[in-house]
Amino acid sequence: MNSQKKLIVSHAPFLHNGSKISERHLHIIYAALPAILLGGLFRFGIPAIGVVCLSVSTAMLWELIMNRAMQRPVSIGDGNAALIGLLFAMLLPATAPWWLVITGTFVAIVIGKQIFGGIGGNAFNPVALSIAILMVSWKDFFDFNAMLVNYDPDFIMAYPLAALKNFGVSGIEKYSIGDFLVGRQSGGIGATFGIGLILGGAYLMIRGFIRWEISLAYLAGVFVTAQLFNLIDPVHYADPFFHIFTGYTLIGAFFLATEDSSSPVNFIPMLIYGAAGGLMTVLIRNIGAYIDGTVLAILVINLIHPLLDKIRPKAMGKVV
Amino acid sequence: MLSDKQLKIIYGLIIYLLLVGVLCYAAFPEKTPEEPVRMMFKVAAGKVLFDHKAHTSDMHYGLSCYDCHHHPMDDDSSLIACGDCHHSTEKANGLPETCLDCHDADEVEDTEMLKRSDAFHDQCIKCHQDFEAGPVACAACHVLQ
Repeated sequence: MNSQKKLIVSHAPFLHNGSKISERHLHIIYAALPAILLGGLFRFGIPAIGVVCLSVSTAMLWELIMNRAMQRPVSIGDGNAALIGLLFAMLLPATAPWWLVITGTFVAIVIGKQIFGGIGGNAFNPVALSIAILMVSWKDFFDFNAMLVNYDPDFIMAYPLAALKNFGVSGIEKYSIGDFLVGRQSGGIGATFGIGLILGGAYLMIRGFIRWEISLAYLAGVFVTAQLFNLIDPVHYADPFFHIFTGYTLIGAFFLATEDSSSPVNFIPMLIYGAAGGLMTVLIRNIGAYIDGTVLAILVINLIHPLLDKIRPKAMGKVV
Repeated sequence: MLSDKQLKIIYGLIIYLLLVGVLCYAAFPEKTPEEPVRMMFKVAAGKVLFDHKAHTSDMHYGLSCYDCHHHPMDDDSSLIACGDCHHSTEKANGLPETCLDCHDADEVEDTEMLKRSDAFHDQCIKCHQDFEAGPVACAACHVLQ
């Protein structure tokens, strides 16, 4: 009897529960703050504050300019532009030049999002698209070893994934997973503090702001693929935990792959989408040309997302 | 849709963040420390990340400055960048052609000005071999990524 009651729906008018798209973006921004504040601003200081502030403000400005140019309603209030600016800054080195930040937010907002018609219309994650374009165009600015050369912390400041790529597993023996978790590693402003990113991701998954299926499938994809490589050749390929806690993996799993309009909505497609992202990330890292394949892997899964959406539940009842 | 008040708050936020961002870049430009921490040499054979501090710090190898910086020996005037004398190309391009361009003959033993890469290779590899520590093979220092 109870199961029948579940299907009873009242007619209009409905009560709005108050949830808005801006609320969702605001909570994703909150979730990213521990990684930025403790992992980035605390570790890298004033230059990191400059990058984050410039990135968020110019992303919102590009959005405003595009709203005006395209004669559309002002959409900066939905928080999406601010979120894109914030995530973009999290992936940059703290010493990124100002013009790189402004160019990057332009690519993310204008080419990555507004060209497709604004929020919800973009085929690719704007942040991943922007970082990929910039990384290919000015790769030296994404060489964390060269960019963070003047920082002198009390831990190994060589970029872990570069050490792995160049010297194999013997080059990463001195690193520890514990250091990665507490942010004692080189990397992007908001990508180094493992615990912060995991807590942020867990909060978003529990509250339902991101889909846990995508994040966990992505991490599982990284783990399984890295484990297979490691089993086959432990001299050249690092263990899966190294891959999960270095580079952009965690921020990719919780903040990039889960972006709304570029990710699937059904259960099986989400699992395939996430797992394919993890697989591609490790493939690019281990046998590809790039040190960190996360953003490229996310673009690839963005590309297969429309195909994955074809896998959908069968409609109930008979079609006459 | 946003109310006028909400829009004003957002515009204010943009201006505030922009000002803070510009201020951080303008007022606190990146400074290269007087004594380098790490150095990245970008050369045709691949980049080399040299940990200057690890070589000088007592916690690590504890080398004296003058173990590497020479001409004149034991003199602070020798504490300059290697590339200030050792040119990185075949042509000197304004840098000294020989040591005698700057030093008197009684100050220096070897008057030939080595190219920067030859000077690095001689000095780094010889020291690593002497102490049987540190990289010697090309790919142990030069990386393509």
